[in-house]
Amino acid sequence: MPRRGSRAGRRHGAEWAATALLLVVLAPALWLLQMSFRTEASINGGVFVATLANYTSLAGSGFPASFANSVVASTTATALALLLGVPAAYALSRGGMRRRGTIAMWVLVTRMAPPIAFTVPFFLAFSWLGLIDTVSGLVVVYLTFDLAMVIWTMRSFFAAIPHSLEEAAWIDGAGVWGAFLRVVLPLSVPGLAATGILCFIMSWNDFFFALILTRTNAMTAPVAIVNFMQYAGWEWGKIAAAGVLVLLPVLAFTLLTRRYLVRGLTAGGVKE
Amino acid sequence: MSAGAGWARAQRRAFLLGLAPALIVLAAVTVGPAAYLVATSLTPLTPVRPGSGLDFSHPLGNYIQALFQSSFPHSVLLQAELSLLTVGMQTLAGVGLALLLDVESRWMEVLRTGFLVPMVLPPIVVAIIWKVLTTPDVSPAYSLLAWFGLRPGSLVTNPVTALPLIAFADTWEWFPFTMLMVLAALQMQPREQLEAARIDGANSRQMFWHVRLPFIRPALTVAVLFRLIDSIKAFPLIYVLTDGGPGRATEVTNYYAFVQTFNFAYWGYGSAIATMMVAGVFVLSLAIGRLGFGRDEDA
Amino acid sequence: MGGKLRRRAVITGAAGMLALPGKAPAAVGAKPLSGVTLNVSCWNAPYPQFLKKYIPEFEQETGARVVYTTPAFPIYNQRMDIALATHSDAYDVINVTFIYIGRWVGAGWMTPLDPFIANPKLTPADWNPKDFLPGIEAAFRDSKGELCAVPWIADIMMSGASRYDLIHGAGLTMPDTFDEMHKMLAAVSHKDGLPGFVVENHYGWTFLGYLQGFGANVFRAPPHDLMPVLDSPEAVQAAEFFATIMRDYGPRGALSYTYDQVTAALKAAKVIYSTENEAFVTQMAQKGAPAAPTCGFSLFPKGPAGRFPQIATHGWGIPAGSRKKDAAWQFIAWAMSEKLLLRMFREQGWSSVTRRSIIDLPEFHAKLNYNGFDVAKIYLETLNLADKGYMAYRTVPAYPQIDRQINIALQSVISGEKKAAQAMKDAQHNSLEALRRAGVKL
Repeated sequence: MPRRGSRAGRRHGAEWAATALLLVVLAPALWLLQMSFRTEASINGGVFVATLANYTSLAGSGFPASFANSVVASTTATALALLLGVPAAYALSRGGMRRRGTIAMWVLVTRMAPPIAFTVPFFLAFSWLGLIDTVSGLVVVYLTFDLAMVIWTMRSFFAAIPHSLEEAAWIDGAGVWGAFLRVVLPLSVPGLAATGILCFIMSWNDFFFALILTRTNAMTAPVAIVNFMQYAGWEWGKIAAAGVLVLLPVLAFTLLTRRYLVRGLTAGGVKE
Repeated sequence: MSAGAGWARAQRRAFLLGLAPALIVLAAVTVGPAAYLVATSLTPLTPVRPGSGLDFSHPLGNYIQALFQSSFPHSVLLQAELSLLTVGMQTLAGVGLALLLDVESRWMEVLRTGFLVPMVLPPIVVAIIWKVLTTPDVSPAYSLLAWFGLRPGSLVTNPVTALPLIAFADTWEWFPFTMLMVLAALQMQPREQLEAARIDGANSRQMFWHVRLPFIRPALTVAVLFRLIDSIKAFPLIYVLTDGGPGRATEVTNYYAFVQTFNFAYWGYGSAIATMMVAGVFVLSLAIGRLGFGRDEDA
Repeated sequence: MGGKLRRRAVITGAAGMLALPGKAPAAVGAKPLSGVTLNVSCWNAPYPQFLKKYIPEFEQETGARVVYTTPAFPIYNQRMDIALATHSDAYDVINVTFIYIGRWVGAGWMTPLDPFIANPKLTPADWNPKDFLPGIEAAFRDSKGELCAVPWIADIMMSGASRYDLIHGAGLTMPDTFDEMHKMLAAVSHKDGLPGFVVENHYGWTFLGYLQGFGANVFRAPPHDLMPVLDSPEAVQAAEFFATIMRDYGPRGALSYTYDQVTAALKAAKVIYSTENEAFVTQMAQKGAPAAPTCGFSLFPKGPAGRFPQIATHGWGIPAGSRKKDAAWQFIAWAMSEKLLLRMFREQGWSSVTRRSIIDLPEFHAKLNYNGFDVAKIYLETLNLADKGYMAYRTVPAYPQIDRQINIALQSVISGEKKAAQAMKDAQHNSLEALRRAGVKL
């Protein structure tokens, strides 16, 4: 049928256009990638001279320690947020509490509030408590948005799970949390994964809090990159290599768990 | 039924038990600091003057200064300009791409994932990518233009182009969010609606305005509001690319607050600016709440 | 003390003789600072990089472990400011940035060093504290006259040309006044596409020699009368002059030139002339630099009101919050010892030195003579000029805020966003606001 043919044709056209667009959109990021493999002398243009020197020179700097700080702070904050937030999200989705709207609003404002609003009080309190420049301090700060994120997105995941399943378990004599653990939680593994990854990415990507609240010991990788922007000449190769290393975990997570992640990102934003 | 009432009570208690730890922690890390922030904003607190943190003699001093004797209003105007520019561009790019990508095929799946990349990149890496692109010495864009014999000036040091450039970079980073939300909505539209419109002989423009747009409007509105609020927080791009300059051309509210608070240690004054920002965000969030965001389970 | 030097000789000697694989023997336990970790930080510049190479010797000698960090300049200042403000114990030895002297020293955030200098247990007898240039050292004294940092650099503002041959070819010499400078730039700029002039985009620093040269100032009479006077007719005139030469003779994107870019452009002879820090312009004379055969130097030019070459200094100090002040001082005493500075001068060419005994060496003068231009003479003459006290504006505690206003104003004039009169009026207005917020009584 000619009509079908034209539709297939249109599909191919859209695919070509989208592919071309994607290349244009990703070109800046790909440029950074190739920069990280160039010798410092060939970065300003000219012939591509490949090297791993930018990466190996990072090993001798403070960068690995900063990278480790990022890993520890992000994973700890994510784990804590899940541990605290998942039961809360479930309770909110099932509890039918009168104040639910208020709590939801509170969580939303927390998710939306500009970081600077948290930095000032945290900074002052941390200086007093001796939490400045500690990974634990960062974890506490990351909890502000990670916890809100977990409650927010997991609630919508739980809401999508039919109540009849856990009700059956209740009738079998399981308690609320017993049924939750045995019935609801296994069904929400995709949601948990997506939420956990989102929390990790948000903590990992943080620049502002780490910039203000760390000095040397707890410095995270994003802040360490800025330190390569030295006053005495930008070390472009090192900056690019460090940038690639910092984006790698996030990129890997995104590509590996794309389907779940999209659900997490749009959770609650679209009526399902 | 007493057993039923007992179970309901037990259930209620169990839910509260699940809720309590999270709420206590959340309160400790949000309500506490918020109260502290507001209190600080009523003092002229700065470490250079001991005792200034307990000086409540002019509680509104910071607010009056901010509103009537400072560059704060100017920074709000700049912020509005930046937000409108970047959200506008993101909406156009996001909707356009979503329409283009709303085709069922394996390859399109792959492409959709590809388009997500800018959004998940660490913002500091995005800032570095744009620093590279806008630095004439290393920028491939400048080399390309030079090849055509063009030698444009630096865009980040030009007061006319600096803010649009930041908006453009921010758009690059965040259009995937709008795209994702719109795409999710598009894919939920019942195919019968589309078929019906097609049978009625609607052309593609009519399709968009009368069939697709009304369907995605709620999701799009939420996406726009989210992006509007997040655009207020854009920090690394300005920090790395312009430092608020040239002149004050990119000193938006968030950056102004940062400079006052952490470059000059006017902690009381910075708290007042931050308090006003939170108030603004609160109003915008109320709007999102009104639009029914987050009440999906009631639908 | 001699004893310490001898001990070091004994230790290194013993280690050399034994040539043991692995760790040194029992002597380790006897080192004065073993087990002590010192956090040392400075912004990244050539000097801290030179010093870094000698730090293992300090560690070897004393047993201390030194954690040495050199962040970028803006990050360093911003973070150190908040660290000091909260009396953090995160750092033991820090660089006291010139522009922050008034703020950090004035607020009592730094430790007075005189008791350490006077303590023979901590300071070798031959350390000779009187050797430091008094005009430079004075910047680091608090209101009671106590020294709060030991200066490691005396950086003066001077003129440097990468293509003196072009200037000479136009029948001119190194300009001595703003007028001559303007004429020279008009004559040589943009021939063969070469821009004539550029300076670092930190105008709160690079513009000040022009501001004062036209007879204007930042404050009415610092440090006592801090009324800003940035909108005076002379200040507007200075801004107009400065913006004109930047616009007409500057390179593309001149507003984004940081000091390293300025230095690189001069070294590569890609810009003809600049008024910049000695530490930067003299790099043109380095072996192998394209500008080396053609570079020329002179004093910072004078304006209608006279010659006001700016002088910067940075120094090593101890934060009040440090818990290892004795050890911290020993690091400073070591780093600023005549012996080490002399080695840095000889081995790495570090020449912006603060010790008179080194400046007076014949080899210092011999080394600082480039293409017949006597930079050592320029250096000393400028240092003498600065004794007149015109740098007082810079150590005012609220200067960092005003510095930002000057940056913003000059950026707006150079970029053409505002006329000079308007930009300076705005700077004045915003400076008043900044000073009021800082609690300065006007």
